[in-house]
Amino acid sequence: MRQGLELQGLSKSFRGAPAPALDEVSLSLAPGSCTAVLGPSGSGKSTLLRTVAGLEIPDRGSVLLNGQDLAAVRPERRGMVMVFQRPLLFPHLNVRDNVAFPATIRGVPRRRARTDAESYLELVHMKGTGKRAVTDLSGGQQQRVAIARGLAARPAVLLLDEPFNALDPELRSAMHDLLAHVRKKLHPTILMVTHDHDEAAAVADRIALLHAGRLLQHDPIDALYTRPATLQVSRLMGGTNEIPGTVKDGMHYSVLGAHALPADQQWPDGPATLIIRQEHLLLVPNHSSGSLAVVTGLRSRGPRRLITVTAAGVDLHAEVTPSHALSIGDSVRVQLPTAALAAVGADTAPDTPPLTSPDWKVLA
Amino acid sequence: MPESEVLATRSGQRTAAGPSLKPCMPGVLLAVPAVVLVTVVVGGGSAMVAAQSLGLMPLVGRPELSAAAYTAHGGDLLVGAGLSLAIAGTSTLLACLVGFTAALIIMQGRWCGKLVAAMSTLSVPLPHIVGAAATGLLLADSGLLARVFGAAEGWPAIVGGPWWVAVIFEYAWKESAFVGLVVAGTLATRPVDYEETAALLGAGRLRRLRHVLLPLSLPALMISGTIAFIYSFGSYEVAWLLGRPYPEPLPVMALRLYNSVSLTSRPEAAAIGVITAAVSLGAALVALAFLRKIPLWR
Repeated sequence: MRQGLELQGLSKSFRGAPAPALDEVSLSLAPGSCTAVLGPSGSGKSTLLRTVAGLEIPDRGSVLLNGQDLAAVRPERRGMVMVFQRPLLFPHLNVRDNVAFPATIRGVPRRRARTDAESYLELVHMKGTGKRAVTDLSGGQQQRVAIARGLAARPAVLLLDEPFNALDPELRSAMHDLLAHVRKKLHPTILMVTHDHDEAAAVADRIALLHAGRLLQHDPIDALYTRPATLQVSRLMGGTNEIPGTVKDGMHYSVLGAHALPADQQWPDGPATLIIRQEHLLLVPNHSSGSLAVVTGLRSRGPRRLITVTAAGVDLHAEVTPSHALSIGDSVRVQLPTAALAAVGADTAPDTPPLTSPDWKVLA
Repeated sequence: MPESEVLATRSGQRTAAGPSLKPCMPGVLLAVPAVVLVTVVVGGGSAMVAAQSLGLMPLVGRPELSAAAYTAHGGDLLVGAGLSLAIAGTSTLLACLVGFTAALIIMQGRWCGKLVAAMSTLSVPLPHIVGAAATGLLLADSGLLARVFGAAEGWPAIVGGPWWVAVIFEYAWKESAFVGLVVAGTLATRPVDYEETAALLGAGRLRRLRHVLLPLSLPALMISGTIAFIYSFGSYEVAWLLGRPYPEPLPVMALRLYNSVSLTSRPEAAAIGVITAAVSLGAALVALAFLRKIPLWR
């Protein structure tokens, strides 16, 4: 029997919607793992989570938990807990009774349920707040209590639907630490929806990238950034450098010359687009080796700068430290480190048009 | 003093004075007409009724403080009060049960929920006297149902019977529509996600009802139930039309005494009015005390 959570060909359409919310999504989550479902608004992330939880009935496909098909299992019996963007703490209960709620409805004596609740509150660093009304807590504290309440249900799978979206960056970072702490202590299987790349990278082991209801790639975080399966994945992950050319015998040939591709992977011969993340592209002084390029754009991004250069008619983008004293019109050399390169074949052409300039919103 | 400091000081004075006077005063002034009207009508009316019941406003003779109006129908008054409490309590309980169920059906948002909402909306503005007449035509031994079932002889005494069934039915029907709409309105402001959250925490339908929906509805249920109780306790027309001649609920007794050919009975009618108002006020205070204990209300 296969352990963990497995989604097999999940499809879901809503009446009146022009396209399916989910289109043949298949995904496997190992026990104790944390997977972030990443994708733009309307890509079907929340629908996926609701379908896994049993709050939506899929048109096709199945959800299996430890090998058991959950099609006929009601949400309350699936052993899954969802924490929403809003904490949704029950306003008629105080903090402690909110956390004790799962035990109370299981029939655990109130005194024991409350004692257990205190231990979960301690886990989320909310010890001593049990008797307070939930309305007295700040947004971050409420979300901590919501997580404690979810954990108190002892779920097999914890579903997080953009739970930290409404929090400020500092608080969000603290919640990421909290989630890491909870994972270390309890090892729950977590499926988390987010549209924040940094958040996905901070809390998850793997990312499942969703777009228009389709799963584009499900891999460890590094792979999505450095080895995207398609140009679309690269663009959705904020990648901006695309150099058309051809692959032959592990080398990519383009107007920028020949570049060896990483040897740890087979690269099929044929037309392919060379991809390199803007963080990995190197701008070196004119006297160094590399392709000659001219700086055509500068943009400050706080501690980093985004430089646009044109080399042999190709626009490239590099994220560098402000110590690079560059101005528009300066000549530089561009180096593409082999380890950071990937080639995407022509048969994986994306639905979305290529970017003519960096997608600053994605980069942000 | 430099000009900038003068401006800053003036600005500070404006800021300090603003919140304490400007935003508050218009609100208070706007409320004055309503407060005056309520004080004159309710306060003045209650004071006059109380004075009349205590012999301080006799139609003839000298004013003399007396409790005679309260003791003139001692036995009937107690029986009437018990009967009124029983009718109002039972019909309110039924109205709350039916109204809460109706609210849950309305909240489902399906076609039957829309139908229940439409029926409730139509029922609320219908006058009680019309509802009572319709109930009589439907449930009396010569009514529609008895004719349809051809059971005129063996038809139970629903209208004018010893258990005041038709009266309770009419109040429960009308007030359940009111309770249902109030509770549905309250539940509509609560996200459906509460129920989904409870379900995912392991709560089945009954436990969600008991542990989530009922507590969330409780303040609205208590307030609408209290209003329904006070109305049922104090209104006369339904019991007058569908009830028995004797014993009489308090409002019917008050009406009869007030319309009596003997004008000296008016203090007795006023005394019953005072008792009715006191019980209603007591019910409102008890409800308020319970509400204050509910965390959601606090």
